Amino acid sequence: MYALVDCDNCYVSCERVFNPRLEGKAVVVLSNNDGCVVARSPEAKALGVPEGLPFYQLAERFPGKEIHVLSSNYTLYGDMSARVMSLLRASAPDIFIYSIDEAFLTLPESEYVYFNPKTWGETLAAKVKRWTGMPVSIGVAPTKTLAKVASKFAKRYPGYRKCCVIDNDERRKKALSLFPIADVWGIGRRTANRLEAAGIRTALDFTRLSAESVRNAMTITGLRTWMELHGRDCITLDHLPRKQAICTSRSFPKMQTTREELAVPLSSFAARCAAKLRHEHSMAQYVTVFISTNPFRDDLAQSSINHTVALPAPASSDPEITAAALKALDACFREGFQWKRAAVIVSGTVPEDELQTSFLDIPVELKMKHTKLSAVADKVNKRLGDETLLLACAMRATDLETGKATTFRDSILHARRSPFYTTEIRDIIEVL
Amino acid sequence: MNNEVEFLTIEVEAEMKLPYYPEGIRAGFPSPATDYEEEAIDLNRELIRHREATFYARVKGDSMIDAGIHPGDLLIVDRALEPKHGDIVVAFVGGEEDGFTIKELDLSERERGRVWLVPHNSAYERIQITPEQSSVIWGVVTYCIHSSLRHG
Repeated sequence: MYALVDCDNCYVSCERVFNPRLEGKAVVVLSNNDGCVVARSPEAKALGVPEGLPFYQLAERFPGKEIHVLSSNYTLYGDMSARVMSLLRASAPDIFIYSIDEAFLTLPESEYVYFNPKTWGETLAAKVKRWTGMPVSIGVAPTKTLAKVASKFAKRYPGYRKCCVIDNDERRKKALSLFPIADVWGIGRRTANRLEAAGIRTALDFTRLSAESVRNAMTITGLRTWMELHGRDCITLDHLPRKQAICTSRSFPKMQTTREELAVPLSSFAARCAAKLRHEHSMAQYVTVFISTNPFRDDLAQSSINHTVALPAPASSDPEITAAALKALDACFREGFQWKRAAVIVSGTVPEDELQTSFLDIPVELKMKHTKLSAVADKVNKRLGDETLLLACAMRATDLETGKATTFRDSILHARRSPFYTTEIRDIIEVL
Repeated sequence: MNNEVEFLTIEVEAEMKLPYYPEGIRAGFPSPATDYEEEAIDLNRELIRHREATFYARVKGDSMIDAGIHPGDLLIVDRALEPKHGDIVVAFVGGEEDGFTIKELDLSERERGRVWLVPHNSAYERIQITPEQSSVIWGVVTYCIHSSLRHG
């Protein structure tokens, strides 16, 4: 049996824990740079605010409506997610964290009489809510796809007390007959349209197709979904995306045109990727740089390019990853475009302790220096704030009056971001 | 949920911690100090019982001054504990002047459907909290950290 635990409106719920006056109000959270709506409270959904709506259209499209608008606070969401995941891990040790707000847990089989999944789920949801303030919905079923279906029911109907269990054929059929095919995990928008055009509206309709016809029309992936909906467990964790690559990407507040302008944010992204690698004690073998123009500006020349550089040996230090990223930028940069978005992706990760045995032909002394330097930078930045210590190429300019460097981070717009309530001592809540 | 960057790769620390060697691993005789590295008093371990449920707050007002809770003090708040009669709690009080407050919880009239937040300062009135104003007991205060330095 699997349990899918899903945080209800994750970003909005995080904000509400520290700002309870947002409870019951329409709330939206914006993407980086306050670009567009990435998260909505149920009240905002009820008003008809669509996901992805550009921020500037919000006031135009919903005049006179009380909608609370917040910049995204990924530091807060990440910390709250880590708290939730830690509680989930304690309740069922076999956990697969699927995204910031979802995790699959493996449970004992339903024949195991001493375990009641319904009671377990209700208790767990109540505990997570009380301990962290995060509301979660739990779906329990013999397959991951059915667990996803069950979690949607748990979320939609309060009668389930946050946990819905699909553990027999009668419940399975009933649930699937009420479940739109477009909402099934693994069924894309285009496939759903095709199925609906053929009169297949619910998940139950879909399960009534023959295996052959599903396989012919939708390949093996569609067939897996079909089998899972029949209660046959066949999507293993290998089919799900795993952490093999780490990506840092942002869109720019202003479009960038020169190689030098791009080098600053890319150096910053590279250092961020390197810090993430070090945090999980791994090293990368490849560094990819990706840059693209604004697809919504039809009036401008469009381009989207990337280039990958192989490192001489696996690395995780700021200097090594940044140098590779800048090398990749030089290899692919072209004049004449207004660049809107960039990313640095590090891939081919290996555990850092493997380095000691398998790469003895590299200059070990230099490598050790880089490793020490990065360890010091991590400590300083942890104590004094991100980017206190950074490579000079990640600096845009130095303020002559204050002597403080301005970096890419300073240019990101987040005018409406909430404080870092859980991770910065100066930002903790104040009580009267 | 939008996959915007940062938390694409989030992974909570595994339960089993691996030793970390900031000096690198070397052959030869190890420093005798390494054996004692773990032996330090860790206030996180002493003061925090439920890591996932623990949050911090800063005291702004003087409504609890007679209970020894001063403006500027740092509070450790544990949401995992069931709030009991007599506990010092952080609550969110709704209504006109909404906000977080620290008070003593009085459940003596709970039978009659009344829950009170009691200040420890005669200049303040007790507050009745009702679900209608969307007030909530947010967490139980387990420690109050007060600086005893007189000059900064």
